[in-house]
Parts: sequence; structure tokens; C-alpha cells
Amino acid sequence: MAALLSETETTSSAQGAPVLAEVPSPRGRGWVHSLDIYIPGGFLLAMLFICFVWPYLYKIPPPVGGNILTAGLPVGSPGHILGTTVVGNDIMSRLIYGGRTSFEIIFAVQGIGLVVGGTIGVTAAMLRGFTETIMMRILDVIIAFPAIILVVVIVLGLGASEGTLIWALSVVGIPIFARVSRAGAVTVREQTYIVAAELSGSKRWRIALRHVVPNIMTSLLTFAVLGAGVVVIIEATVSFFGYGIPLPGPSWGNMIATGAQTMSTRPSLLLIPSIVLLATVIALNMLGEAMRRRWGTVR
Amino acid sequence: MTLNGSGTSGGTATLSGTAPAGAPNGEKPLLEVRNLVQEFPIRNAGGVKGGMLQAVSDVSFTLHAGESLGVVGETGSGKSTLARSIIQAPSPKSGEVIFDGINLVGLQRRQMERLRRHMQMVFQDPYGSLDPKWKVSDIVAEPLVAYGLGSRSQRKARVAELLELVGLDPEVHGDRRPGQLSGGQAQRVAIARAIALNPQLVICDEPVSSLDVLVQAQVLNLFEKLRQELGLAYLFIAHDLALVKQVSDRVVVMYLGKFCEIGPSDSLYTEPLHPYTLALLKSVPDPDPEIGRVQSEDVISGELPSPLDPPSGCRFRTRCPLAQARCAEEVPELRELRKDHFVACHFPLPGNDDRDLTAVGSTVAPDEASA
Repeated sequence: MAALLSETETTSSAQGAPVLAEVPSPRGRGWVHSLDIYIPGGFLLAMLFICFVWPYLYKIPPPVGGNILTAGLPVGSPGHILGTTVVGNDIMSRLIYGGRTSFEIIFAVQGIGLVVGGTIGVTAAMLRGFTETIMMRILDVIIAFPAIILVVVIVLGLGASEGTLIWALSVVGIPIFARVSRAGAVTVREQTYIVAAELSGSKRWRIALRHVVPNIMTSLLTFAVLGAGVVVIIEATVSFFGYGIPLPGPSWGNMIATGAQTMSTRPSLLLIPSIVLLATVIALNMLGEAMRRRWGTVR
Repeated sequence: MTLNGSGTSGGTATLSGTAPAGAPNGEKPLLEVRNLVQEFPIRNAGGVKGGMLQAVSDVSFTLHAGESLGVVGETGSGKSTLARSIIQAPSPKSGEVIFDGINLVGLQRRQMERLRRHMQMVFQDPYGSLDPKWKVSDIVAEPLVAYGLGSRSQRKARVAELLELVGLDPEVHGDRRPGQLSGGQAQRVAIARAIALNPQLVICDEPVSSLDVLVQAQVLNLFEKLRQELGLAYLFIAHDLALVKQVSDRVVVMYLGKFCEIGPSDSLYTEPLHPYTLALLKSVPDPDPEIGRVQSEDVISGELPSPLDPPSGCRFRTRCPLAQARCAEEVPELRELRKDHFVACHFPLPGNDDRDLTAVGSTVAPDEASA
């Protein structure tokens, strides 16, 4: 009986695994159940394609330096499919180049936030105790500032440009990323496998890199996608107020700002960039939510 | 039933033969715990101090190389805290933990890291103790990498050897992640990691409690096999006496942070001296339906008292059927009533009396009863 017992488990499960693999997952199979990721993901990929690749494949009019003779064309004009602005710039082109700016800012800000904020958060969680408290309190002070005012103040101090805007938004984003990653790292550091790793003799920095970071990465990425919508909105807001991308440089925010001035006579100048902005933010949120559902909590 | 039926008949025989192990025979113990106390401050809402949780109160014992000491007690009796205190995670409040002649309490971090190599642990929840993102082979290799042992190919060979030793196939299971393993397989991986550094002591914190009964028997057999092959010493924690019996030379019964009784397993199982031990033995269900009902009048009632405010005197007195006035006033000390068999009770049970031990009789060989 003993021999029988000690054989059963290993052999049965060794054969068991392939059998299990053939059973369709309870979620059902195929792409239908992944539509919550494919739809917003596909939309965003299309946006990225249009913004970054399209201008190289097809000649589009420049976003700036438009001719006054072709100013104020309505939607559907030949050569200017979405019309032109009051100074004669092609709206389609400004949307594309403005989107490019927005996506560049998203990637830069969320990338900086993920790396710098994540490092700060995980370090704080691993150091524990007094150091951890001090680090988090300093970040709380930054978080306590209203985001838009903080960005405007930094941009005013350094001069408006895309680069300045990225740094200003990062100052807002880094403490938030740090807080989220610290919260995740605190949960992970209490897991038994961390104690087991310590017992195995792994050093603290190694545990942080090899155990903590991989286990909070999915929730951090999810948070980055969810936060991307906020970044777009803050960027558009400060551009709307004139502290973001300086005119005539294209940006969805300053397109909405100038469009608002001619809202009664040319509503399309306001509506088109607003709709594109809205759709992008919704897609980012949908994608983030779908990721959150799939990969667990964002704390 | 399964435990006995699973037939470590070889193992049991060996155990009986080495039963007096742990006797103070002059040999230096591998692990000596002296007056260990572990307390945790409890904070109520707003950080107000809410008293001290007395998890482990003044316990002492020794463990010799190659010996296996079972620790039994119900949930909240301080078994796991004791284990964590021994590996200094966290360090105990007071007392000494002398491992191989060196007191671990208050040791520098670096020295502790060096010593931990000889002292490993297997946890209760196999999935919780394995990083879900890691492959099995990386998990088992982690201690080897951490201590910089061997080249990459040597480590790979060692990992394969370890996995085979615990009954896993390196080809099949090496590339899996913990989520793709059964509970028993995951615990085998944890065991392989624990023995990777050839430790002298393995602390097993309820290593089979979360496994189903059939797998429990297999994993217990594995523990026994490894002990014989590698000469490991175990501190084996469980909340089930029947389970500990198979793998322990000596058994400690803990109640609310204190030792009730400690003695060679034969002696403790056949002639328990502490009323609590007897109650635990009686609560082991017997598979025979004729006699198998746990007699309700013999089972102790009530809940474990709060470790924030343990009863005065003997901590078991609030639930003890034999409690008298003296038990509330005087803390009973461990006394050696039989050879190597200590009990902390003012009114210990007479050994071998007319008390009905048939409920556990099936786990006791007749010849042992007369020992």
C-alpha cells in the first residue's frame, strides 16, 4: 500500500496535465471573451499607427504654416478632409501631429513614472520602518498639490515646450506611481515566499528585483494605462489654458482652446478634437479596466 | 488509518529503536532553546497600545542532530511563532536560541545569513511559499544561487538531483510554475528547496496540514525518507498528534504559549501525563465505527483563552477537568516524572491507569504499552 501511495500522486498528475489542457477553460474559448481588451487595444493601436506611421506613408498637409487663402474651409473640402482652421492649417494634419504629441507625452510620463516612481516605492517598502515613513510623507506632500496648478507652475518656471511639459507631468506622476508600487510591494513583502527567499539566503536587493518587482509589474502596468487617460486630460487642460504646447504647435488641448473661440460659427473646430480626445481617453480607460479585471487589483 | 496503513513500517521500527533519542547523553545538542519569550504589542485603532500578545512564554528544549521533535497544539498555541523565533524572523523578545553552539539572538545580520544555511524551513501553505512567477527549477536553485554554489551547469544537475529526491521529474516539472502543480507537488518543491543546502535542521511548520489525507501520507513518507538518507533534524509542527507520531522521536505539547508536556513519543502516546495531552489523544478520530466515536464527555470544551490576558497559574486550568484551587495560584513547572518525560501539571495523570485509551489504541503497538 505504501508503494502504491507514493507512486499515485506524481504519476497521475504527470499524466493529468495534458488532459486538463484539453478541457475548454470556463471562460469559454476564443477571442470573443477577450473583446474587452481587443476593442480598446485595437482602437489605440490604430491611433498610434495613424499618428506615427501614416504621415510617412501618405503625404498629408503640414500642421502649421497654412495658407490664408485656404483658411476656414468646411469639413469635406477636397485636400482637406476635415477642413482647415481660421489661419488655414489642415485640421486632419493637426489632429495627427497633436495626437503624436499626446502619445509621446503619455509614453514618456508613464515610463518615467513607472521606472522612477516604481524604484522609489519598492525601495521604501523594502527598507521598512522610519525610512519608509519619511519617504512616503515627502511624496504625500507633492501629491497634496493640485496636479494642474503644479504643472502650470513648473511650466511657467521653465518655459512652455513639450519637454518641459513631460517633466512637469512626471513630477505629478512619480509620487503617485511610488505610492501604488509601495502599496503593492508591502503586500508582496509579507508573503511567505519572501520569508522563504530570505531563508534561502537571497539578499534584500535581489529579493526586491526578482520577487517583488515581477509580482507587482502587472498591476503597475495596469495602473499606467489607467493613468494615461488622466495624463492626456491634464496635458489637454494645461494646453487649453495656454501653458502647454505653445501655438502654433499642434496639440489636442490647444485645438480645443482655439476651437472654443469660434464655437458658434465653426463648431467642428471644437467638436472634432474633443471627440478624438474623448475616444482616446475612453479607450485607455476601457483597456485599463480590462487589464485590471484580468490581472487583479490595482491598489 | 491512512497514516498507519500507509506503512512506514520500516520507519516506525527505526523510530522505536531510537526512541530514547534526545536523552541528555552528554553529546552537544544541535539546537538548544532557553527561556524563549516572544511577545507582540497589540495596537488598537489610532495606534493606542492594547496590551501584549504573549505568543510564546518561557519555553526551553533541546534538539540533537538527526533527531525529530514534534510540536503539537491547537491553533493559536504559539507553535508557528516558536518556529519563526528560532529562525529569527522575527527575533524573540528574550531568551536564547543556541544553534550549533552559537546564540542566534542578537546576532549580526551577516552572521545570521551564514548560519541560516544550516537551518531551513518548510511552510504550511506550499503555494504561498513559492513565488508564483518563478519556474520550479529556479525556485529550487535559489538557495544555490544565493550562496554562490557551483557553476550554472552544476547547479542544474543539483536541481535535477533534488527534484528526483523528492519524487518529481525534473523534465516534466522543472519548467512549470507553482500554479501548475498540485498541492503535494508544490510542497515537494518547497522541500527540495529546503534541503538544497544540506541543512542540519529543517523546521516544518504544519507542512502537510493543507494537503489532502492521501497526499499527507506520501509527503510524511518523504520526510521520513529524507531524514534517514540525509540525517536531518526536524522540528515538526502540527496540530494533530496522530500525524506527528509517525515522524517524531520526541513530542512537545503546547498550550497557549507554554509547554504542557514533552517526552519520547512512545511514552507520551501511551501514558500521557497532562490532561490536555490526553484530551488531544482522545480527539483523534478512529476509523472503526464501533469504537470510533469521539466520546463527547472526554473532549474538552470551550475556546482557547486570549493570549492577551492568559489565565493565572496553569494556563489550561480554565478548560481542565481536573483543575483545583492550586492551579489558579501557582504556575506548574516542567517536572521529569519519567525518564526524559516532563510534564507541567500539579496533578498529572497517573500513567497506565484505567483511563480508556482505546480510542488511540490502534496507533499503539501492544508491546510499546508496557515500555
